[in-house]
Amino acid sequence: MLAASCCDRRMCVCPGPRRIAIPVRSSRLPLFSDAMPAPTQLFPLIRNCEIGRIYNAVCYCHHKHLCCLSPHLAHNHLRCAPQKKLATLCPKENFHQFIHARSYVSTPQRFYLTPPQVNSILKANEYSFKVPEFDGKNVSSILGFDSNQLPANAPIEDRRSAATCLQTRGMLLGVFDGHAGCACAQAVSERLFYYIAVSLLPHETLLEIENAVESGRALLPILQWHKHPNDYFSKEASKLYFNSLRTYWQELIDLNTGETTDVKEALINAFKRLDNDISLEAQVGDPNSFLNYLVLRVAFSGATACVAHVDGVDLHIANTGDSRAMLGVQEEDGSWSAVTLSYDHNAQNESEIERVKLEHPKSEEKSVVKQDRLLGLLMPFRAFGDVKFKWSIELQKRVIESGPDQLNDNEYTKFIPPNYHTPPYLTAEPEVIHHKLRPQDKFLVLATDGLWETMHRQDVVRIVGEYLTGVHHQQPIAVGGYKVTLGQMHGLLTERRARISSVFEDQNAATHLIRHAVGNNEFGAVDHERLSKMLSLPEELARMYRDDITIIVVQFNSHIVGACQNEDF
Amino acid sequence: MFLRLLSDVRWRTASRSWRSTSSSRHMTTSAAEPPSISLPAQAQVVICGGGIVGTSVAYHLSKLGWKDIVLLEQGRLAAGSTRFCAGIVSTVRHLSIELKMADYSNKLYQQLEQETGIKTGVQIHERTSISHVMVQKGCVTGVETDRGQIECQYFVNCAGQWAYELGLSNEEPVSIPLHGCEHFYLLTRPLKKPLESNTPTIVDPDGRIYIRSWQGGILSGGFEKNPKPIFTEGRNQLEIQNLHEDWDHFEPLLSSLLRRMPGLEALEIMQLVNCPESFTPDMRCILGESPTVQGYFVLAGMNSAGTSFGGGAGRYLAEWMVNGCPSENVWPLDLKRFGALQSSRTFLRHRVMEVMPLIYDLKVPRWDFQTGRQLRTSPLYDRLDAQGARWMEKHGFERPKYFVPPGKDLLSLDQSKTFYKPDWFDIVGSEVKCCKEAVCVIDMSSFTKFEISSTGDQALEVLQYLFSNDLDVPVGHIVHTGMLNEEGGYENDCSIARLNKRSFFMISPTDQQVHCWAWLKKHMPNDSNLLLEDVTWKYTALNLIGPRAVDVLSELSYVPMTPEHFPSLFCKEMSVGYANGIRVMSMTHTGEPGFMLYIPIEYALHVYNELMSMGQKYGIRNAGYYALRSLRIEKFFAFWGQDLDTFTTPLECGREFRVKLDKGTDFIGRDALMQQKQDGVCKRFTMFILEDHDTDLDLWPWWGEPIYRNGHYVGKTTSSAYSYTLERHVCLGFVQNLDEETREALVVTPDFINRGEYEIDIAGQRFQAKAKLYPFSSLFTQRRRKDEMELSGYHGK
Repeated sequence: MLAASCCDRRMCVCPGPRRIAIPVRSSRLPLFSDAMPAPTQLFPLIRNCEIGRIYNAVCYCHHKHLCCLSPHLAHNHLRCAPQKKLATLCPKENFHQFIHARSYVSTPQRFYLTPPQVNSILKANEYSFKVPEFDGKNVSSILGFDSNQLPANAPIEDRRSAATCLQTRGMLLGVFDGHAGCACAQAVSERLFYYIAVSLLPHETLLEIENAVESGRALLPILQWHKHPNDYFSKEASKLYFNSLRTYWQELIDLNTGETTDVKEALINAFKRLDNDISLEAQVGDPNSFLNYLVLRVAFSGATACVAHVDGVDLHIANTGDSRAMLGVQEEDGSWSAVTLSYDHNAQNESEIERVKLEHPKSEEKSVVKQDRLLGLLMPFRAFGDVKFKWSIELQKRVIESGPDQLNDNEYTKFIPPNYHTPPYLTAEPEVIHHKLRPQDKFLVLATDGLWETMHRQDVVRIVGEYLTGVHHQQPIAVGGYKVTLGQMHGLLTERRARISSVFEDQNAATHLIRHAVGNNEFGAVDHERLSKMLSLPEELARMYRDDITIIVVQFNSHIVGACQNEDF
Repeated sequence: MFLRLLSDVRWRTASRSWRSTSSSRHMTTSAAEPPSISLPAQAQVVICGGGIVGTSVAYHLSKLGWKDIVLLEQGRLAAGSTRFCAGIVSTVRHLSIELKMADYSNKLYQQLEQETGIKTGVQIHERTSISHVMVQKGCVTGVETDRGQIECQYFVNCAGQWAYELGLSNEEPVSIPLHGCEHFYLLTRPLKKPLESNTPTIVDPDGRIYIRSWQGGILSGGFEKNPKPIFTEGRNQLEIQNLHEDWDHFEPLLSSLLRRMPGLEALEIMQLVNCPESFTPDMRCILGESPTVQGYFVLAGMNSAGTSFGGGAGRYLAEWMVNGCPSENVWPLDLKRFGALQSSRTFLRHRVMEVMPLIYDLKVPRWDFQTGRQLRTSPLYDRLDAQGARWMEKHGFERPKYFVPPGKDLLSLDQSKTFYKPDWFDIVGSEVKCCKEAVCVIDMSSFTKFEISSTGDQALEVLQYLFSNDLDVPVGHIVHTGMLNEEGGYENDCSIARLNKRSFFMISPTDQQVHCWAWLKKHMPNDSNLLLEDVTWKYTALNLIGPRAVDVLSELSYVPMTPEHFPSLFCKEMSVGYANGIRVMSMTHTGEPGFMLYIPIEYALHVYNELMSMGQKYGIRNAGYYALRSLRIEKFFAFWGQDLDTFTTPLECGREFRVKLDKGTDFIGRDALMQQKQDGVCKRFTMFILEDHDTDLDLWPWWGEPIYRNGHYVGKTTSSAYSYTLERHVCLGFVQNLDEETREALVVTPDFINRGEYEIDIAGQRFQAKAKLYPFSSLFTQRRRKDEMELSGYHGK
């Protein structure tokens, strides 16, 4: 875990003794033709800040941590090379060159981001949703959720989604961690919930929907999305996506088994089907050159997914990859404990290694998992997209050759993984865990590995638990039989209020967690200086110190859960 | 205090030796367990609730001579808010009826200190809870308790927090819209030099707190900005107890206490008491008889002023039960101002959170509640809203106040609070101008609309009996008339159109929906051939005001609309645009020319669109109620609920012409009016034009301003508005002739009005006013004709 965390956990294109396995021409993974930021675009997030001060802060960081980086290396390998390894490699002249190139960095003044600046960065992507109350009673087992993300990549490769199923009961929430670009994560975040919702629909509803489409009538709404304004949907691809989805439900209609849909099965089918569609769309291509390029980018990049489906007391977690779902349980004594509701699909999971090895001939036993990576390259052992690990070599070559020039010029896509004998090596099939909610299950944290590699799960649950209970019911004061004067009480209350406003300056549990994840010092307390430094890293360096972090904190309604539970008995 | 009186009586009969000795505020007398006595099988009155309100009702009923009264309390006497409340009697109130109640309570409590042991005839049973009230044929027949049934004629719901739930527990539910909020106050140990018990009570509205002396220490509580509503889901508990103290919640109030009185810092805390109080949607208590169940009376929802109002309110309710009506106008508190529509728990929960902080907020004129809105709307709501409508609410119905023109912006809500000239002044001015010179549309769908029809002449007969004007008019005529009580006072003021020989269409003010219905139901014979229907929701009402209304309408209907063909106060069903069956009435409620259109709701949008597009060439625009109000008041039109009440007769407001004493049939209130005609009136509705009032710089009149005649107080204003035509403020109000020595009200003659020099007192500053008994109708018509000529000249080509 530790070793992995200082290197790109996703897609190592520079592993092993051959440091540079693929010639890379640009600083970005070339799949991003669109993002090539000028050096002045350091902080797209905090446009309102005084740029000068930020520059200084940035430069300070350069001095302290990164002086050994050559511009060349910095450009090429930021997102994949561990800092230490780079340091040993760093040629001296390059070092000087670097310093020279950044010679405007002359004032060694220490400028940090002010707390409001830090907050504006942390809160830029925060989103909260409260399930509406009906007639004074909240009928959902979910009170609401908080979500947030903090980019390290530019642009961020994580995605998140949340939606309420309108034709069936329940709510869907998911985090998606992209690699080799964000195209796949983006596509999965837009599409996966539709596949799940359709898989859950009863036959009659499917028929109704199909008839509506057939006759051009208005479609029943399937999902109500709860989106942050920054969470976008691709307009161009919606038609294409819709057609694939429609084919799916048509097949479901034809397959009508008459049986009621099992949630676990529906989740697995939806995951597999979407991955299959991604793969097919890339093989078939699209006459529209933009779309054609898009479907290829989607297929050649990858994404993990961790999705929760909550319906009453039934909580299903479907996980593919190394994001994680963690349940926050409050024990009778008020303390918090963490229950993991997903299995990581990576080299730290022995049964995953076993599974992967068993799926391939004995001859590949040594090469299929190497340096804790799939084929020595990929950290997650399950993922959407990543056709490089799924398609045969012939298919890959054919698609690339017939593909657009951008794809052809792309060294990464052309590169075939070593020891690639018996594809597929990768699957999007999730593992599904079902959990019946109990009144002591207070919340669920879904987060990409950016969080889990910086914080222990127990700390995560404790911080969220204390945050949530603190906001809602701080331990009340009772005078009891003690002698307390008005002045003393006033002092106590003022102090409590001050504490609340400083500790709970976050209105959002996910933001609060990110603040801890990024800013925690060795004592587990948020250190503003550290937070400020971490957040003022220029975007091309940020990825070395942290990964994209995406968090959804779902809060359960213990009253409803308790009531549902009683009904069950 | 009532309970001390009452309980003395009861307990004396039980054990002769026992005397109430407690004088503590907490009234711990009930600690002595009274022997349980079986419930009587019947009683005249059963009162539910042994708090200050219930005991006050019982006390006053017995004072008025009723003997057979049973008071049931589910817990202990005075155990709810009464026990826990801060016990402040304050007579600083906003409504005059509230002021009177508080004043009476105050005097009563002083008097009660001496009164003890009167034979009251009230039986009190504690630990007896009522499961529901038994109702037959719309009348109370008894109550079902956990200790058996009691037959009774009258039931009084004084159940405080639980009045809502109790009201709904009947088969025929009684809707009592109130909701609890937690309320905190602090008790301290005595000061080093204990405070005297006669230390004045201090209220600091800015700090949102009150402070009074309590057992040598202080008692201090307040009404915070962020109240905590409680019992939304109802809670069937016996007594309010064990509610938690919430110090963090109390912190802002404690801070303002110590800011105001820093010297109290060293005072030792005894307790923080959490005492829920019940609040109503408009911060006024709920008093009166249920509109649906006869004999079911309610007094609850005291909005934290139970002690202040308990005495007075109990008296009015007792009078109401014994005499059929209270001795004061209690319409502002009447249960019938609400309907079932205010009964949603979500609505109440949200609204009381706005109401409670208001107790210590500065009340500004024309304040609209922000919560619980958009409940009832016209089908045109979205259209009007998109055109800049700003809304106010009446009886749950959204009504446009005025329309903010595109590109213009008003102050934000908080900044718009003012006692001076408001920011919408010019906007309303231009709407009024348009009403005078061209044509405006006002959506007036909120008006209460009833249809009364019968197979024979029954409808006419009953209406002739209920209304003072002669309704036996040719079909198609509209009659303005009052629905009077036995004293000749207005129970309702309405317009009735005779649709055909046997059916009538009745238009009343919006908030009359429940009251008018109940009054009609009460007085109509139980005749299956007589049908009363509430059609409020069936019609959208558009008021087309202005000299050009006639042109717009005739173009849309291809029917000549000139006065020869369509005289004033006439009603016709006709088509407007494609829509047929629109009831067009030649009246505008303002005295301006124009028409009211009663449109079946499905045609509303169509007709509105047609009017707007056809009206374009006549300069049509939207207008709101503020414009209507200004037009109405400058025309000296009185409005029920504002100017007119159940104690005002037509003769007192210059409406003799709407009363036909000799129409051939008797009607309710006729005798009283005959008498009054003979004796003369003791108050007279008068219009005042402010002479030296600077609209831009002086405080505006609102209502309730004192009127001075030759330097003597003679009455109060009831409404006021700026007249854009006169360019003066107009106030309406009643003038009395009070004998200087006896304060007795003498006859007011026109001569008395005309011979006085008047001043209106606005917030301490007196402005000269000219009194008028008749509107400036001639002035207006002249002016209008002139404008019309100019306009027609302009449009001539």
